[in-house]
Amino acid sequence: MTTSAPTTPLSFDANAIRALLPHRWPMLLVDRAYDVIPGKSGYGIKNVTISEPYFAGHYPDQSIMPGVLIVEAMAQLTAVVYASAWLAEAGQSGKAGQSGETGQSGEAEVAARVGYLGAIRQMKFSRLVVPGDRLTMKVELGRPFDRLTPVTVQASVDGELAAKGSLTVSERTAGDPSGLQ
Amino acid sequence: MTATYEELLATAEARTALNNHVKTQLVESLGLEIRPELIGDDQPLFGRGLELDSLDTLEIVVMVEEQLDVTISDDDRSAFGSINRLIDFVVADRGEIPQVEAA
Repeated sequence: MTTSAPTTPLSFDANAIRALLPHRWPMLLVDRAYDVIPGKSGYGIKNVTISEPYFAGHYPDQSIMPGVLIVEAMAQLTAVVYASAWLAEAGQSGKAGQSGETGQSGEAEVAARVGYLGAIRQMKFSRLVVPGDRLTMKVELGRPFDRLTPVTVQASVDGELAAKGSLTVSERTAGDPSGLQ
Repeated sequence: MTATYEELLATAEARTALNNHVKTQLVESLGLEIRPELIGDDQPLFGRGLELDSLDTLEIVVMVEEQLDVTISDDDRSAFGSINRLIDFVVADRGEIPQVEAA
């Protein structure tokens, strides 16, 4: 994964994110991404509402966003950051995704390359995330090795840290469905 | 130029200390259920050796970068043969045996 990407930070609205990620409702957990430096770092927002399907059971008498879904949201933001680098590599303008009209085939290819969560290397949760919270996430990619990339992530609500840790994500390639071995 | 006995001894001690340090770090960062001193210097890290996998490789890459300031890239895969191979790579990259605290 080389980065011949533009240095100006990019923004992605929900439509542009849908174009980059294979995830869909109810598992698409990034509403917006901003200040994205393709292949390097980025910020994202997840607005948590009482209508989230998981609140039906987590828990019936007290709504708390599951920690693993916070991890998933941060992993998805990570995918936006590296997928935007592929999009730039594919010769697309990095902003093509914003219109949602141009570069459809390139985006489909990019979404198909999005890999899996390889490891939750370390994670700490320091605050409950409840309906009405705006989860602001930040991810920073480390140097990739062998299609695996270490990522430091954090999520906060109103400047208060909610989760912080490091993940490993994989890139999927043809003929190697998991990207892991 | 031939090294004196003292110089050779110092080099050997520094190397042993580094090997032990890396073994301890390996066990800690990978959560291995083995005592560091039971890992052989030439024991294979993957397969039937320590049975590490590609995710562990990344863990070692990050650990070596943070602790020893040496970058291992995709092309340097042979460094993962054994502890000795790994340390050889680190020493070659640094041009010296990095000083570590005795384990």
